[in-house]
Amino acid sequence: MAEADDRLVRALAKTAQGDRQAFASLYQQSSRAIFGMCLHLLRDRDEASDVLQETYIQVWHHAGEYHADRGSVMTWMMSIGRYRCLDALRRRRCNAQVDTVIHEPPSEDSGPMENAHDQVDRQRLSDCLKGLDERYRSSIEMAYFRGFTHQELAVAMGQPLGTTKSWIRRGLDVLRRCLGS
Amino acid sequence: MKLDDYERNHALAAEYVVGTLQGMARQRFERWMMRSARLRRQVWYWERRLHPLNVSLPEASPPRGAWQSIEQRLFADSAIRVSAFGWWQSLVAWRWSTGIAMLAVFALLIWTPSPTVVTRYVGVVQSPQAEPLWVVNASADHRLTVKALPLVQPAAAGRDYELWLLPESGAPVSLTVLPTGDTQLQIQLTDQQVRELLQSRSLAISLEPAGGSPTGQPTGPVVYQTRLIQM
Repeated sequence: MAEADDRLVRALAKTAQGDRQAFASLYQQSSRAIFGMCLHLLRDRDEASDVLQETYIQVWHHAGEYHADRGSVMTWMMSIGRYRCLDALRRRRCNAQVDTVIHEPPSEDSGPMENAHDQVDRQRLSDCLKGLDERYRSSIEMAYFRGFTHQELAVAMGQPLGTTKSWIRRGLDVLRRCLGS
Repeated sequence: MKLDDYERNHALAAEYVVGTLQGMARQRFERWMMRSARLRRQVWYWERRLHPLNVSLPEASPPRGAWQSIEQRLFADSAIRVSAFGWWQSLVAWRWSTGIAMLAVFALLIWTPSPTVVTRYVGVVQSPQAEPLWVVNASADHRLTVKALPLVQPAAAGRDYELWLLPESGAPVSLTVLPTGDTQLQIQLTDQQVRELLQSRSLAISLEPAGGSPTGQPTGPVVYQTRLIQM
């Protein structure tokens, strides 16, 4: 296990025992990545900050529920944050701005939180995404990076609702077969 | 949908993680997740597999007040502020500002009759003109009370006074942003903080950006220091 992830596991384990200093350390090590993700999804600093706070409050209360099947500590915490971001997007859906950006590829640069194991996963995902039909890939990435609903995807891509639904479904199916177990 | 429909569930788990599973279907799926370990594992599969997308996004520094808000929401009862960013490597590393002189501060004994025999430690932070600014009162039950006296002037706009515990060895520990203007603040110290405070009896006050040091270490000049005296 990479050193950074090892540190996070130790901090999370102590957090689960009510150690506030460890919780502070966890925040110090992870909050930039989580806030960056929230900012990207929500495009609103105040809202991203609110979600960040909710995320760490949830982490504090559920630290003992983490286990390796959830992935790395960052996978687990960013998933918590991601779902809070999606909730926030749902709440303001009526005002959601639908962009017409079609393709937003993930950065090729690895972030500081990334370890060697992450790099293998990233490369595999990147390869599998590149192998996808362009329409499938764009649909999945827009949904993932923007939190678009099926309906919003249909509007953004100028396609009937059934079509974008089908693209997402087929794209994810192909992706799973490529990624393996 | 059947709960044992593996392929169908995988497709739903994927859309749950991607976010396109919406509304009632999403809520229903979350209820199924509570009942099905296999469904949870399918969700975790997608969370793990798509996690590289999360780390591909640029990082960003959260607002300075975010950590304080988290602490307040979680630990409002004790109003404790734990330094979010660790420790100074050593007191030697303290970059004393050359622009602002260290002020000689004397601790005064303040006697307040107490109905019970409780060990207390008291320190008074004074201005260069020996005017009392803050009275710091630590009691054996881990409470630290800081009272700002009327003479305390608010820090400059966008600045706050921050109180630090100076352990005998190791880095200063953030205790709280100090009140100004004839108000009182009480915080609860951890066991470790109490031990260190009893050993060193030393406190310092630095000028920091509003809301406190963004790094967990003093970033501004140390403007006052005081020692606690046992009553």
